[in-house]
Amino acid sequence: MADGATARMINTDTVVEFDVALIERARRGDSRAFERLYREHVGRVHGLCLRMTRNPDLAADCAQDAFIKAWKALPKFEARSSFSTWLHRIAVNTVLEKRRGPANAEILAEDPTEYEEPVMSFDSPVEEEELEAAIQSLPQGARDALVLCGVYGYEHSEAASMLGIAVGTCKAQLHRARGLLKDRLERGV
Amino acid sequence: MNMRRINRIDELARSVPPARDLWPAIAAAIEAEKSAAPVAGPQRRQRWLPAAGMAAAVVLVTIGVFIGRSFGPVREIETAGTQQPAANVIPAALRDANYRKQRDVLLVEVQHKLESMPAAERAKVGASLATLRRSIGEIEAALGRDPANALLQELLVNSVQEEMRALTAVRDSGNQEI
Repeated sequence: MADGATARMINTDTVVEFDVALIERARRGDSRAFERLYREHVGRVHGLCLRMTRNPDLAADCAQDAFIKAWKALPKFEARSSFSTWLHRIAVNTVLEKRRGPANAEILAEDPTEYEEPVMSFDSPVEEEELEAAIQSLPQGARDALVLCGVYGYEHSEAASMLGIAVGTCKAQLHRARGLLKDRLERGV
Repeated sequence: MNMRRINRIDELARSVPPARDLWPAIAAAIEAEKSAAPVAGPQRRQRWLPAAGMAAAVVLVTIGVFIGRSFGPVREIETAGTQQPAANVIPAALRDANYRKQRDVLLVEVQHKLESMPAAERAKVGASLATLRRSIGEIEAALGRDPANALLQELLVNSVQEEMRALTAVRDSGNQEI
């Protein structure tokens, strides 16, 4: 009987094989296969966009654009990276592009007063929400590094590559993010 | 305690579904992409077809002229005693009345086609056709000096055929695109 770790591994392998089959079908123009990939990955892609943009409408737009770009770029997808990582890279690029565009400059502007300081309490049922709110209150660069490395578990090199910054900068931003987060959580106590 | 909470960042839900289903808009974009692709692809190919064909022909003819010039003097010495007037050494296929008639008709049609093209495209196509004709002229001139040169004769036939293919492609290019 497989133990928990083995069971997880088998499950992961099955998911990867499942993805590979769907990707191959989608590459050949099967939009139903791509829809299944979308259903499987949309939550994580949207979560990433939401945490980077802090705006639900803009996050939905970014996630939508990311999937459209992914469909167009599928022939270029190489199995060297996972489909999920590849999708996230496209999503991060999309968010960065939106930030550069003038249309969303106001929405994405850095303004610490724009966000309410979360009311903190230890081990309360809303702890996760408080943590999310504290992350959202972080400056953009620090937040990006924290979201990619802290929440989504990317290595510094991967996150730096996605964000188009140096690895050292990414490490510094993550360190800054953790410090600010600690301060903000303490101030909320 | 706050450090403990910070360390729990990696336990936050990575998946946050959007409030609305994004698939309908994505599917619409995909369908638009799919329906545009079959039209755009061949159109792009057809647009380049005459230019690519002519480019290939020009390269072929240029190589032919180069070879013809390289071998010309040697052949001239070898065949000096047997030289004939140029008109007599033009391959029979090229003197064929039917070929001449077809080419004349094609030239008229191509001229009409050129007139309907945008100026930039017309200039490019016209320049390529002129290069082809100039190259054919040079091969004919080389044949005049070396009438028995089989290689030049073959090159001339090939070049003239390339010219016919290029003219046909130019004539048909607009019809294919529409």
